Amino acid sequence: MTVSALTRPGERDRPIVKFSEIDWVFVLVLCLIAGAGALMLFSIAGSSWTPWAAAHAVRFGMCLVLMIALALLDLRVWFAMAYPIYGMGLLLLVAVAAVGDVRLGAQRWLTLGPLSFQPSEVMKLGIVLALARLYHGAPAERARLSWWLLIPAAMVAAPVLLVAHQPDLGTAMLIALTGLAMVVLAGLSWRVIAAGVVGVLLVAPPFVLFGMHDYQRQRVLTFLNPESDPSGSGYHILQSMIALGSGGLLGKGYGLGSQSQLNFLPEKQTDFIFATLAEEFGFVGCVSVLALYAAAIFMALRTSYVSHSHFGRLAAAGTTVTFTLYVLINGAMVMGLAPVVGVPMPMLSYGGTVMLTVMIGFGLVQSVRVHRYSEVTSGKGTFV
Amino acid sequence: MSQPHIFFEEVNERQGVFHRRAVLFGGVAGLGLAALGGRLAFLQLLESQRYEKLATSNQFNFKLAPAPRGIIVDRNGAVLAANRPNFRLMVARDKGVDPEATLKILAGFVPLDDIRQRRLLKDIKNAPKRSPVQVAEDMSWEQFSAINVRAPELPGVTADMGEVRVYPQGGAFAHVIGYVAKVNKEDVLAAQAAGATIDPIMLHPSFRIGKQGVEKAFDLDLRGKAGAHKVEVDANGREVREANDGDIPSVPGKVIELTLDLDVQLRAEEVFGAESGAAVVMDCRTGDILCLYSGPSFDANRFVRGLTGAEYRALAQYDHKPLFNKALTATYPPGSTFKTMVAMAALEHGYDPATVHVCSGRWSFGRIWKCDQVHGAQDLKSAIATSCDIYFYQCALAIGPDKIAETARKFGLGEIFDIGIPGQKKGLVPDTAYKKRRFPKDPKWHPGETPSMGIGQGYTNLNPLQLCVMTARIANGRKALHPRLIRSVGGVEQKSGAAWGELAVAKENLAFVREAMKAVTTVGTAARVADLGLGPIKMAGKTGTAQAYSYGSGRGVHGSAGAWVLRDHAWFVAYAPYDDPRYAISVLVEHGGFGASAAAPRAREIMRTVLLKDPEVLKRVENPVPLPDLPPELQTEDGLPDAPTPLTPTAAPPGRPA
Repeated sequence: MTVSALTRPGERDRPIVKFSEIDWVFVLVLCLIAGAGALMLFSIAGSSWTPWAAAHAVRFGMCLVLMIALALLDLRVWFAMAYPIYGMGLLLLVAVAAVGDVRLGAQRWLTLGPLSFQPSEVMKLGIVLALARLYHGAPAERARLSWWLLIPAAMVAAPVLLVAHQPDLGTAMLIALTGLAMVVLAGLSWRVIAAGVVGVLLVAPPFVLFGMHDYQRQRVLTFLNPESDPSGSGYHILQSMIALGSGGLLGKGYGLGSQSQLNFLPEKQTDFIFATLAEEFGFVGCVSVLALYAAAIFMALRTSYVSHSHFGRLAAAGTTVTFTLYVLINGAMVMGLAPVVGVPMPMLSYGGTVMLTVMIGFGLVQSVRVHRYSEVTSGKGTFV
Repeated sequence: MSQPHIFFEEVNERQGVFHRRAVLFGGVAGLGLAALGGRLAFLQLLESQRYEKLATSNQFNFKLAPAPRGIIVDRNGAVLAANRPNFRLMVARDKGVDPEATLKILAGFVPLDDIRQRRLLKDIKNAPKRSPVQVAEDMSWEQFSAINVRAPELPGVTADMGEVRVYPQGGAFAHVIGYVAKVNKEDVLAAQAAGATIDPIMLHPSFRIGKQGVEKAFDLDLRGKAGAHKVEVDANGREVREANDGDIPSVPGKVIELTLDLDVQLRAEEVFGAESGAAVVMDCRTGDILCLYSGPSFDANRFVRGLTGAEYRALAQYDHKPLFNKALTATYPPGSTFKTMVAMAALEHGYDPATVHVCSGRWSFGRIWKCDQVHGAQDLKSAIATSCDIYFYQCALAIGPDKIAETARKFGLGEIFDIGIPGQKKGLVPDTAYKKRRFPKDPKWHPGETPSMGIGQGYTNLNPLQLCVMTARIANGRKALHPRLIRSVGGVEQKSGAAWGELAVAKENLAFVREAMKAVTTVGTAARVADLGLGPIKMAGKTGTAQAYSYGSGRGVHGSAGAWVLRDHAWFVAYAPYDDPRYAISVLVEHGGFGASAAAPRAREIMRTVLLKDPEVLKRVENPVPLPDLPPELQTEDGLPDAPTPLTPTAAPPGRPA
C-alpha cells in the first residue's frame, strides 16, 4: 500500500488498514513491560508460575486483545459514549456510597452478581472521555478563562469527592490530577493556574492535619521521616528502600533478592513489584524498565499530538496523563519520595483491575491514532 | 468520510495551545521520570553499600550455639564428667502448626502417651511463639532419622542433635563433681547478684548450669564461650536455611583435672557399700586429695535429666542422707582420734610422756568417768595405743583446753580449706574464749568440761577432711600441708598443697605421736585390722569411737547394737607406709559402731589400693599377701567410748585444777 492509497476516501475505514495503523512498536513496549512484570512475579513466587506470573501473562494477553479491538472502534463511538460512561460512573459511585461493600475499612467495592468491582476505576476513563467531549465543543476563549469553566470543575469535583469519601485518597488524587491536567492542556489561563498553585500550597497543610483519616495522616507523616518508626508505619518505605539500595548497579541476580524472597518487602507482588525488580536487576534493570515506561508515555503523547480532532487530542492526552501519574506516583512511593498510597505500577504489578483500566485507556489512545484524520461532530457543527 | 485536512496553528488556536501544552506536559513527565532515575542512581549507586548492610542484617540472624562443656578428669585422665550426643525432638508453636495433630503424628515415632501429649500441648501453648518445646530426648538413631525424613511436611517440628552431660562413674563422684541442670530463676538472680551480666546462653533451652560441686564452682570455666550459627530468616523470623559461611565457632569449656584417683574413689565406694560415711585420702607430700568419697551416693545423671518428685523425695528423706557430702558438710565428734592432738599439745607444752596414770576402768572427777577396759599403768604412748580414756582425761586436765585447741588448729582442725568446691563446714575446736562467746550466761569454762575434750567429745566437732589433713600433717612432719582437689583448670596447674609454711611444732614431738600411732596398729586397738598385708609396708593410725548421743540420756547405744541412728560413729585415721609416710586417710562410718571394726578395715582396703598404685611402694612390696577379713569375734575393740559428756557445768566439782 502506498501513502497515496491511504488518501483515497474510505480507504482508512477498511479494518485491515485500521489494523495496520495501530502503533505496533507501542504494543511491543507494552508487551515488554508486562513481560518484565511476569518475570518478577515468577521470581518472587519462588520460581513458580503460580500464583501470580501465569495469571498476569494471561490477563495481559486478554487485555491486549481487548485493546486492539477497542483501537478499531470508531472514534465517534467513543465520542458518543463519553457522557454515558461518565454518567454511569457517577451513578455507580453514588451507589457504592449507599450500598457498597466495606473492605479493609473503605467502601470501594460494588458487587453485581458474581462480579465485584470498583466504580472508581470506571471513573478514571469516564473523566477523560467526558472532559475531552466537553472541551471538544468549547472555543479557545472559554477554555482559557470564563464562567463556563465551572462546568468542567464540577465534573471533576463530583467524582473526586465521592471517591475521597470512600475513602480512597490515591484514586481521588489520580482523578483530580488527570482532570486538572486536561483542563490545563485544553488551554486554561496561566493566571488561574498560578492562583491554583498558591491556593493548594495554602490549603494542603491544614488538610493533612485536620481533614484526613488517621491512617492517611500517618502515611503522610511517616513519609516525611520513615526511619523514625522502622517497624511500624515506616516499615514499608524503609524495606522498599533497602531492597532498592541493596540491588546496586547490577542487582543480586534473578531469584536472589533477599528482601523480596524472604518477605521483608510488603505487597511485593503488587505495589512494591518495582522494588523487587530493583533488588534483583539493580540500577541497570530499573533504568531499562523506566525507559520502557518513558517510551510508552511519549508514544501515547505523540498520538494526542497527531490527532486532528480536539476530542482525540484531549482523550489521548488525558489517558497518557493517568498512565504517567501511575508510573510517577508508584515510582516515587517505592523510592521513598512519596507517601504510601495504593497506586500500583501499571502493567508491572499484579492486579487485574488496574491493568484492565490502563489497557482500555490505551485502546482509546490507539483508536485516536487509528482515527487521527477523522472528523468528530458535536452536533453543533464541526470542530476539528 | 471526509478528506484529511492540513491545519495550521493560526487556523486553530485551540490546537496550538494544546500542542504547546502537550510539549510542556511531555517535559514535565520527562522531568518526573528523570527525577526517578536520579533517585535510583542515588539509592543504588551512591548509597548501595549502606542498604546492602541493612538487607544483610534483615536476611541473617545469629543463633546461639552452646559450647561443648569442659570435661572433668581424674589425676590419670580418666573421664569423670563428659558430654554425649543427644537426639532431641522439639515442637514449636507457629502459624500453620496444629500442635495437637502434630503430637499425634509424632506419637507414631516416639512413645508419647495421652497424658504426656496433654502436658506437652499445654507447654507448647504456653511457650512463646516459635520457641521450641522438647517433646522427646535420647531418641535412637532410627527414631531420629525417621522423624528427620518426615520433618519437612511437619511444620514446627525439629529434630536435632544436642549434647547432654554424662557422668560415666555414676555415683562415686557425685558429691565432688555435682551435676548440671536447667537454669532456674535462682541461678539468674545469683548471677545478677554476682554483678555479672546475664550471659544470653543461659536462656538457651539446651543450656545446663552447674548446680553442685565442681560443676557449680567452675561453671564459668566449664561453660566455654558460646558460638553462633548463622541462619537465613524471613520477615517473620522463621529460619529459611542455614548459612554456613558465617558461623562463629564456639570455644569449648576448659578441661578440669582433679587430684582424685578413679580407682581409689571406686574402691571407697565399694568398701562402703550401703553404709553411710566418708573417706578422704591425701598424698601427704603434696596435699593432693586422692579420694573424697561420701556414701551412700546418688546417680548424678538423673539430676541432669530432671528428677521426678517421687525420686527427689526418696533421696531427700532417706535417713542415710545420700544428697549430703559427709566428707565436707557434716561434722562429727572426732572421738579418740583427737587424742593425737591432746598428746601433741601436751608434749609441746612440756608434758613428760613418761607420766604414768593408772587405769582402773573408773576415775572420779566430780563424778565417775569410765574407761571400757582396765588398762593398768599407762604412759602417754601406751595410752594412745590402747586408747585409754582415763589417761587422757587427766592428761587434758594437766594442759587445759586452750593449749589443746591451739595445737589442734595448727593441724587444720576447725579450718575451712580452699579446695575449690563449696560446702565445707567449719566444725569446732572449743576453748575458753569460745565458751565465753557462745554462752554469755555461763561464760566460764568448767574443769569438768576438759576431760570430755581430752577424748574428742563435748563441743568438739570436725569433718572427715579436717581429720585427714591433721593426719597428713602429722605424717608429713614439716609442712602445714593444705589439701588440693583441683589439679589444673584448662591446663593451668593450681597451687600445690605443699606450697605452704612450716608446721610450727617440734619435730621430735611429731615423731613421738607417729611412733604412738604405729603402736596403735601393731600392738594397740587396731592391731591386725589395720594390717595391710603388704609385707614391709605398714600403716600407722588411730581409732575413734565417737558417741552420737549421750548414753546417760538412755538414747545412745554403744558399739553396733541398737537402732542405727543411735549408734556410735566409727573413725579411723591413718598414714602409710609408716616408715616413709606418703598417704594419709580418714574414714568415718556414720553410726558404724566401733572404729576398729567398722572404720579401720575400710581404711585398710582403701589404703591398699592407694599404695599398690604407687610404683615405688610396689617395688618394696616383694611378696604381697592379702590378709583375709577377720571374723568379728577376733576384732579388737576400740576404747570404751567415753562417759556422757558433762555439758552441764554443775557436774564438775568446784576447786579442781583445770
